[in-house]
This record gives sequence, structure tokens and C-alpha cells, in this order.
Amino acid sequence: MRDRLLSLIAPSRTVQAHCDLPCGIYDPAQARIEAESCYKIIEKYEANTDQHFRTRAIAIKEQRAELVKHHLDVLWHDYFKPEHLEKFPELHETFWQATKQASKVKQSLELAEAKKLLELIDTIDQAWRATGGPEKTRVAKAAVA
Amino acid sequence: MLRTLRRLRHAWSQRVAVEGGSMLPALHPGDWLLVDTEAYEGRPPRPGEVVVVPDPRHAQRWLVKRVASTAADGRLVLVGDRPDASTDSRTFGTVDPSVVIGRAWLRYWPPRRIGRVR
Repeated sequence: MRDRLLSLIAPSRTVQAHCDLPCGIYDPAQARIEAESCYKIIEKYEANTDQHFRTRAIAIKEQRAELVKHHLDVLWHDYFKPEHLEKFPELHETFWQATKQASKVKQSLELAEAKKLLELIDTIDQAWRATGGPEKTRVAKAAVA
Repeated sequence: MLRTLRRLRHAWSQRVAVEGGSMLPALHPGDWLLVDTEAYEGRPPRPGEVVVVPDPRHAQRWLVKRVASTAADGRLVLVGDRPDASTDSRTFGTVDPSVVIGRAWLRYWPPRRIGRVR
């Protein structure tokens, strides 16, 4: 019933809000590595009382958190498609939460916040895997002899 | 009110689906929009408005972008809301206002984000 209704009101064509020449490589691993950096930096910050070290740690964590947001955004716009959203209706909400959480990690020195960010990225990773992300975007690693 | 209804009836015949994220957060990929093809019969598009235009390099392909400004010669400078993830006037130059298909006017799907495109 819902599908029939939707097909009645569906658009007849698409309009592109695109970036040309996408490289086609979209992988939540990029965001995760930066989020792992944030996590580890907070751990190191806590273990070290040197003021200079701590200042550097904060500066680097802010850069990394910004990169998390960037990688998530690219994944959101360029990898995921409307048909994926039908399978994962929560996807927009999850991306919104994850990017907001990255902003929180940028400001915060709480390990728990960084952990939450990793979990949200892992939720996105599951959707990426379930939609064939690894097969579609990854280049095979060289075989180890 | 009557004008809106008339516009709705007219624009209903020009429904489009957004692909890509260069217009986030104003337009999400997967948004369904009504295009008001009569919006620019009496005036040219103004800066700030979201318009649908044929891709100058590929007329069959339609683009949705925001009018950033009007050049001295009256042509339009179009830019995505996320310039670092958008192909727009910086690549294909300014666009003749007479080729504009219409104004991206109303989002009618998904239901929780129904409303005017701003």
C-alpha cells in the first residue's frame, strides 16, 4: 500500500547536487582511525601532567575530531543513496548523531565521549557493510606470500 | 492561499529527487522536491534562491544549486551550499538566467521535513 502510494507521488527525474569525479572510495575506516586517535589522545592526556604535552594533545585532538566530521560527511553524501535509506531508515539520524558526537569529542576530554563516537561510527560501518560497501569501494590488498 | 494552490497544482508536474550532498543541510540526498517553473517568468532568480538548471556541460542532466550572486552581465553565479563537495560555477562558469528550469520550491518528501526550500 505504502509503496503504491509512493510510486504515485515519486519524482519523474533527478537533480544532481553532486561533486564531479568522485573517486568511489568510501570507507568508515577513515573516520574510525581519526576517532581512535581522539580516544588515544585523551588517554595520553590523562596520563601526562606536562603542560606543553597537554596543550599539544588538545590541539591535535581537535584536528582529528574535525577530520572525523569530514570523513563522515563525505560518506554520508557520496556513498549512501536513497535506496540505502529505505533499508536503514535511521541512517540520517545516526549520521547526525555521529557528527554531533565528533563535535563533542572535539571539545571534551572525556574518554566516554570518544568511546560513544566510535560506537556510532561502528553503527554506520554496519550499514556500509550491509549495502555492499567493502565490495564496491575497496581495492584488494596484495596477497602475503 | 489561492496562489499557493495554483502553484502547487502546476509544480506537481515537475517533481524531482535530489542526488548527492552538495546542498546539505538545506537539501538531503533523497529529498523529493516540487520545482516552480513559473517562478522566473516575471523576474530573474535572486541570490539566495535554490534553482534547477541544466548542467551547462550536459544539458540532459539537471543540477540543483544556490544562486550565490548575479554577475555584472546579469548571468548567475551558482554555488553548492557545501563548496568543498560541489561542482558549480567555479567549474562551469556563470549560467544564463533564461535557461533556468525553475525554483526548487517545496520539499514534499520525507513527510517530517515537508516545507519550503530555503
